[in-house]
This record gives sequence, structure tokens and C-alpha cells, in this order.
Amino acid sequence: MVTYIVRRLITAALILLGASFLVYLLTASSGDPLEEFRASSAANKQQLMDARSELLDLDTPAPLRYFKWLGGAAKCLVPFGGSCDLGKNIAGQPITEALGFALVQTLTLVTGATVLAILIGIALGIITALRQYSALDYGVTFMAFLFFSLPIFWVAVLLKEYGAIGFNDFLRNPEIPLPVALVIGAVAGVIVAVAVGGVARRRLVSGGIVFLAASLILIYFSVVQWFRNPGLGPVVIAIAGVGIAFAVTVLVAGLKNKRALQSSLIVVVLGVVAYFAVQPLLNEATALMIVLLGIATIGVGVGTGYLMGGYDRGQSMRAAGITAFLVGGLILMDRFMQAWPSYFNNSRVRGRPIATIGAGTPNIQGDFWVLSLDTFTHLILPTMALILVSLASYTRFTRSSMLEIMNMDYIRTARAKGLSERSVVMGHAFRNALIPIATIVAFDIGALIGGAVITETVFSVRGMGFLFLDGIMHTDPNPVMGVFVCVAVTAMVFNLIADLAYSALDPRVRIKA
Amino acid sequence: MRFGRISKAVGVAAAAALALSACAGNSGGTTPSSATAGKQGGSATVVEVNAFNTFNPNTADGNTDINSKISYATHSGFYYIDNQLNVVRNEKFGKMEKTSDDPLTVKYTVNEGVKWSDGTPVTAADLLLQWAAFSGYYDDADSEAKTGTQYFSYAGDPTGLKLTDFPELGDDNRTMTIKYTKPFADWETILGGPGIDIAAHVMAKKAGLTDAKALVDYLKEKPKGDAKAPKPADEKLKAMADFWNTGFDTKTLPSDPSLYLSNGPYIVKSVTQDQSLTMVRNKDYNWGPEASLDEITVRYIGSAPAQVQALKNGEADIIAPQASADTIEQLKALESQGVTVEQGNQLSYDHIDLNYSGPLAEKSVREAFMKTVPRKDIVDKIVKKLDPEAKPLDSQLFVPAQAAYEESAKNNGSSAYQDVDIDGAKALLAGKTPEIRIMYNKDNPNRVDAFSLIRESATKAGFKIVDGGLGASDWGKALGDGSYDATIFGWINPGVGVSGVPQIFRTGNGSNFNQFSDPEADKLMDELIVTTDRSKQDELITQIDKKIWDSAYGLPLFQSVGVDAYSDRITGVKFMPNQTGVWWNFWEWAEK
Repeated sequence: MVTYIVRRLITAALILLGASFLVYLLTASSGDPLEEFRASSAANKQQLMDARSELLDLDTPAPLRYFKWLGGAAKCLVPFGGSCDLGKNIAGQPITEALGFALVQTLTLVTGATVLAILIGIALGIITALRQYSALDYGVTFMAFLFFSLPIFWVAVLLKEYGAIGFNDFLRNPEIPLPVALVIGAVAGVIVAVAVGGVARRRLVSGGIVFLAASLILIYFSVVQWFRNPGLGPVVIAIAGVGIAFAVTVLVAGLKNKRALQSSLIVVVLGVVAYFAVQPLLNEATALMIVLLGIATIGVGVGTGYLMGGYDRGQSMRAAGITAFLVGGLILMDRFMQAWPSYFNNSRVRGRPIATIGAGTPNIQGDFWVLSLDTFTHLILPTMALILVSLASYTRFTRSSMLEIMNMDYIRTARAKGLSERSVVMGHAFRNALIPIATIVAFDIGALIGGAVITETVFSVRGMGFLFLDGIMHTDPNPVMGVFVCVAVTAMVFNLIADLAYSALDPRVRIKA
Repeated sequence: MRFGRISKAVGVAAAAALALSACAGNSGGTTPSSATAGKQGGSATVVEVNAFNTFNPNTADGNTDINSKISYATHSGFYYIDNQLNVVRNEKFGKMEKTSDDPLTVKYTVNEGVKWSDGTPVTAADLLLQWAAFSGYYDDADSEAKTGTQYFSYAGDPTGLKLTDFPELGDDNRTMTIKYTKPFADWETILGGPGIDIAAHVMAKKAGLTDAKALVDYLKEKPKGDAKAPKPADEKLKAMADFWNTGFDTKTLPSDPSLYLSNGPYIVKSVTQDQSLTMVRNKDYNWGPEASLDEITVRYIGSAPAQVQALKNGEADIIAPQASADTIEQLKALESQGVTVEQGNQLSYDHIDLNYSGPLAEKSVREAFMKTVPRKDIVDKIVKKLDPEAKPLDSQLFVPAQAAYEESAKNNGSSAYQDVDIDGAKALLAGKTPEIRIMYNKDNPNRVDAFSLIRESATKAGFKIVDGGLGASDWGKALGDGSYDATIFGWINPGVGVSGVPQIFRTGNGSNFNQFSDPEADKLMDELIVTTDRSKQDELITQIDKKIWDSAYGLPLFQSVGVDAYSDRITGVKFMPNQTGVWWNFWEWAEK
């Protein structure tokens, strides 16, 4: 095992050296760094060209310059040496500093999107695999491929046009005309009717109920101007909480496990009580406090499950813990909604909350909630764009992996010995289907650092992609190399992790040194 | 970089107001007044392409448009340039007088009460520091021999100030007089504006001197640098210059407020790295045009469609994106929601130059070639979709935004090349079929279009056209190397100032790529750069323009189109052709 890792690391180092040399030469010869001065009529043209040549060290041939760069970069290997030197960019900023900033920008942009895309993609993949060749399966496949094949710059521009500009216009006077409410309700109804499956009668009933509920909710929203003053309130939290308790119990323990259901329901009651208790505390919220509260919430849930005991304590603890976490999320969401009017009317926001560019409203001031909402309104569109285009690979991967597993002998065995469908799917099939997904997730995390160049450009975020492009534009290898090193190192590390994880997850795969 | 010409879209009233200030500028007298239609106070968000990175925009590395614009809004000086390309004096800041023509002597007097935002008065020491940095007085570097030291890395052209002796400072510490050894045409815009950027007392502290007075004394004692007799670098001056070169570079707001002192209408309040910069009104400021807005926020958006959408969504109030047919169409669509779109011509223009060697050595062949260049078709194909009113440019030295353009264009001989004259060209060629290699940047679609149209037309007259197009990274290096016979590329008209003229057109000069040489034109140019009277300058340039056309130099094709747009919240934005862009009159911006 250790020899294997060492061997892999040595290979990685060699690949990194070779690739960086290649990238350096390619960047250095990709253009003319003095182009902007060539056709200049300034009397001191030569002086400006000399200054730029000196800045980029153009008098040294590119292959030699690479070794100079490598000498500086090698210092980065000394841990805590503080002498890491990746050169400077054309504006005289050290690359290490620029990278630090760009990395944060990129990670804020893509982390949420990647996590959500993985969660939604895997969920959709499992469901479509279980309902193979149903209308739902075809529908999801169609949508996934549709978004997969759309160019992201176009999706992003459309999202900005309707999701930001259109929605902000709507918020000016958030009234939903009756026909629109009915149409949206009908669409929701049809989707549900298609998704639920089963006999036609069941589909019709479910679709009808959803149609009525959705239309009524929209009409209600319109009447009370909910989009201007949104909120959930304890009643909605309680009702939704009970729903969550049942759903989580079904997935985690099965409804037959009464103790698990009871623990989940108790947690919901505790949640509603907590809703009133924590409001004053939340007014003084900080990010750390929210995290601590979240951990405490899960703790309470798990504790409740433990105290309820029963023949399978673990299931109760899990069900109650997850329920507690989700109900806590609802309370958090409600608090954000309470802060919405003050964000909406903020003099910097001027009633147009959803943003098309950047990572925050300049000079905005407010409490934790207003600032978090500001980040949220800036991230929502790029996140949606990235999710839409990356959903397809996760859905299809999970679906095929799940289908393969469902045809395995041990699934038949599990069914034959009388296990419930829930435990066959959740306990036997689902876990095994995730093994190949581990590989692509690891790859994607490597690619994540590389940034989403186009998304960054459209949403005007100056992250890794921008740094890379800007370097190319100025034929300045330093920023390009900085990005390259970051991306290459993460890609290689995560490749290694993926291989190791594979062997840890799947006992059939063993690493032999 | 953004350039352009006043657009026809600008109202008659605005033009009248500008004409008035233009007159004032030429007479070198009155102080501008701010004619604001909107109310006092409020805020605006302006979009820029590049991110701010230094508080000293004069260095070779920091000299980008955004840094200059921020500096322009936070500093003031003896003059600024309006959108008719006139130099407008700001007499509330101080007086800049030419006290003698021979030798050319200019006296700068800073008014009392003008001060930095830390309360220190702006004095002659600040001017002296600017002079020292801009003139390269102490440099003794020889770039060929690699000896000596270059201290201040100034991005501008030091030629003019190189002609000056060490300035004379007045006893009251508010006047500085510089004497030129030879008259210099652009004396008005070479020093003292549009902003005095760097405070001498800050530089003194950073260089380990006690105060601005010590800095003045120190500079006074230091002898002029001589490239022929380089001396070891002066430690203190080197430290000071290094600080000037890089000490003000930052992407965030420095914790030391002395690094971003203001003496202009605004003062920087906050900087968010690579996202935005906010300026608020400088409360003390009363030495120049008074600003209306309380706060200006600059946000950086690279792509033009994203700028348009930000304007539409209210995140930006003023934008000036790169003009393209799509962008202009999108902006026009916003006019219904109250957005005002202004279009105009920028100072950059495309042109075709013919080499005075090879097959084009003979004037008749050059003339024949010029007769075949379909300038109107080129304008129709490339510029009309952006600006339906576009016309070919008819002067090598003026742009239509300048008053002298019309007169010069009428008489310089450009009228002979208005329309394609294949028969005339054939007659001049008399059966010859010269092979012409045209070099251009083939990664620039406009240049490719221009080349195709020229090839098509010239072939009809019997020319054999060879496609010498090179990639973006190679065409610049090929300029002037003799590997082609004609080339299509772009120049940028300086707008204000004449010292660029000989650089392109004088015999043997650095940017004279086609080896144009006319002794009479050379003489006129030598006279031009020592002529300090502006109307006399125009007269000389008109004569040079004619000489260039008479010798069948080549043809200017068209000017680039610029565009800006602003939301219905804001008034007072006006198109500007040069790189200052809409910022030129930022004090007139107001909230409705």
C-alpha cells in the first residue's frame, strides 16, 4: 500500500514537471507580449517595450525562464517557509497573492453548485433507475441531455434575463394573475402525475391535488404579497416537519419501525418549540453560531433517537437526527425570509435583489442575515447554471450504475429471502451503486479548482478562470502557471484518493504494490 | 482603452455649452462652471473593464485606463481635457502661465487653500516631484550599454521635460517656474494636470526624509544624470523612485491613508479586490468644478453583454462597453426603459500604408493602388452596422472631432480618393501588373474584411495581390521589416498634443514603418514641435497633412466606433473620444 502511494506520488511529480514545462513553453509562445506597443506612436515606445521586457524577463529564452520560475516554485515545497515565489503578474502583483484571492472566489462560486449537482444528480439517477422506461425516466433523461448540450454562456444569459431581470421586475409588483397561477399549478400537477407512477387513477388524484394546492398557494402568495414579505411561520414548519418526519423514516427505517417514527415526530415538536425559543438568539446570529446550532440540532435529534431506544436504536437515531437537521433548516430558512424585506429595501439593493454580476453588492451594510442574503442573491444564478449543465453526467452515471446493481445476483437473493423493497434498494443496491460514483466525484473536485471559465466571465467573477485567461491574453506565463499548478496538483491528488477510496469501498478491488 | 468622437446624439444644448467651455479653454482664461441639471447628492455605479491596481497611474506598469480614471476623479490640477479635445484651465486650482516665448518659460502657481485630504497644502514641492519623475532628469541609464540607472519608471513621453533645467521654486512655496532650452509644442499638457497625483510630503517620509522641504533640498543638490558618464545609483533617490514605481500598487485599501491622499473632488473610501471601488466626496474640495454625486462606485465587468445586463438590472448606472453590432442593438432595445445611448467615434482609426520601396517605390503605382481602395465599401461593410452615419476618414492627422479637420480634409487631396477609380488606376499602371503583398492582422475580422475588399478591387486594375496576413502574435513584429509592400493596421490619434506627429511621419523615426520621407514635411514637423501657439500648430499640421497625401502615402480608412449608455437615474454623462471616456466630466454626473 505504502509503496503503491509512493510510486504514484513519484510518477505524479514527474508528470507535473513535464506538463508544467510544456504549458510554460506553450504560453510563452502563444503570443506577442509587446503587441500593444508595436503599433504605438509614442516617442518613448522603445522605453515602454524595454520596461515590459524587463518585467516579463523576455531577454531570457522561454525554456531557461521556465527553470528560473521552477526555482521560485520549488521554494513552495518548503512547508511554512514563507518563501514561495511563483513570480508576479503584469500588474506587479505576486501570483501567490492573486491565486489566494482567485481560489476563494472560484470555490465560493462552484462548491455549492457541485455539491447540489451531486446530490440532485444521484437522487434523480436512483429514481429513474427504479422507474426504468417510465415517462419520468424519459422526461428526466430528456431534460438532462437538453441542459447538457446547451452552451453554458447561453443558459447563463437566459437565467440573467429571466431569473434576475425578469424576477426583479416581477418583485416590483408581485401579483400573479389568476390564469398564470392556474397554468403553473397545472404544470406542477402534470409533473407530479407523471412522477408518482402507479395506476392511472392514482396519478390523476395526485396530480389533481398538487394542481389545486399549487394554484391556491400561488393565489395566496399573490394576495398577501408573499414574495415581498416571505415567511413560513410555526404552522407551516410544523406541517412540513411532520411530512419530513414521515419521509425520512420511510427512507431510513421504514414505517414499520414505530420507534423511529415516534423519535422523528418528537423532534419535530421540539423543533416547533425551539422555533420560538431561538428567535431572540438568532437576531444576534453569526456564522459560527449557526454552525454550532446546527451541530446541537443534530445532537438533540440523535439523542432523542437514543433515548427512544427500541430494537434498532441506530435507525431511530439516524431518522431523528436527519429530521432534526431538516427542521432546523426550515427554521433557518424562515429567519432568512424574515430578513428579506430589510434586504429588499436596503438603499444599496433598491428593490432589485437578484444580481447578475459579482459576488456581492458593493458597500452593503447590515446584520448577518442581510449579508448572507446578499451572498445568496449573487450566487443563486451561477449556481443554477452550473447545476443545470453538470446534472446530466451524475444522473446518467448513477442510473446506469444502479441498473447494473439491480440486476445482480445478490439483489435477487436479498429479495428472495424476503427483505422489504426499502431495505433492498436503500441497504443493498444504493450503497453499492455509489462506488463508481466515488470516482467521478473525485475527478470533479479536481476540475472544480480549475474553475468555470465561462461562468466566471458571464457572471463577472474574477476567479481562477479569469486569472488563467488574463495570463493568456497578456502572454504572461506566471498566472497561467499558477493556475496550472493548483489544478494539476488537486487533480492528481484526487485521482489518487479516488483510487484508494475505490479499494476501500469495494472489497473486490485490492491495491497490490 | 476607449476612444471616440462626439456623437450626433449629443443634444444641441450640450454642444453649445461645450463650445463655450472650448472657447474658454483656448483663450486660456476662465474657470469651468458645473452646469448640473440633477440634484446634489446621490450615488452612481460606473462599470469598467479592468480592475484597479495602483494609486500611481503614471508608472509603466500602472498606466492602465482604470488607474488613470480613479486618479482623475481623486486629484486635480491646472487643466483638464474636454470632449471637444480642448485643454480647459482650472484657475481655481492654480495658474499656469507662459511668461516668455524665448526661452519658453512656464510659471505654475498653486492657489492658496488647495490641500491634500490629510490637510497638508498642495505646494510647489508636489509639482517638483512630478517634474522629477516625469522628466527623467536624474536618469543616467544607457539601454544599449546597460549602464547607469533609470530611477522613475514613467509611462509618458519625457521628451519635452528633458528640455528643461532644474525648476525655480518661489519663496512662498506655491510657485514653480520651468525654463525650456528649446520651445516645446505640448508644454500645456506635459505637467501639472489633469492631476497632481503623488504628494511630496508622503514620498519624503517613505524615503526617510523629514518633510517635503527636505525632499526639495535633496533634489536641488542632486546633479542631472548623464547617460555618457553614469554614476553609481544614488541610494536615497533610488529608494524614493522605487517607492514611486511600486509603493502605491495595491488591490485593496491600504491601512496607511497617506498612500491614497486626494486633492480632487472625490476620495477613495473602499476597495474590494477585483470587484469594486467606492469613492466619496472630498468635503474640503472647492478648487475646481464642484461634483454633484456624493458617492461613485466603480465595478469591473469584462464582457460587454454582462455590462448591458447589469445596466438593465439596475446594478450599473453608467457603462461604456466595447462597441459591436450586438452590443449596440442590445443597448438600443433598452432605450424604452429610459436608458440613454450615446455613440461616437473614437480616436483610433484603421489605415492602409504603402511602402516607399519595392513595387510601390514609384509614386504612380502607389497612386494607382490608392485609386483602387474601396474606402466607402469598407466603411459600409465594417462600420455602418455600428454607426449608420459613418464616413471614411479623410485626414492622416486630424479626426473630425477636431476643429481643423474639415478644412484640412477639403484641401489635402483626399477628394481624389473618394470613389474607386479602376480606369484611372489602369491608366497610371499602363499595363504593368505589380505584385503587392499586403500584411495585416488576420485574427482581427475587421482587417480581414478590409483586406478582402481591397484585394477584390485592386485585382480589377491589374494588381496581383498576395495575402500577407499574419497572426495576432506576429503582425506587430513584422511592422517595418520590409517583408510586405502594404499594411493595414490602426493608429491612435493623440487628440491633444502634436509630438506624436513626427514619430510616425518624420524621416527615419521609430514608427515610420513605410519609410515615408519628405524633406519639406520634415522641416514643417521640426517647426511644429517647437510651435507653442495652438492655431499655428493646426496650420502647420494642415500643411503636413497635404504633403503626406500629395506623396501618395496610403489611406486612412475609418475610425473605431465607441458607445456609452446610462440609466434614467443619472444625468450629465457625455461621450468622450479619448481614453478618459465618460469620466472626463464626472463632476457633472447627477442623480435625477
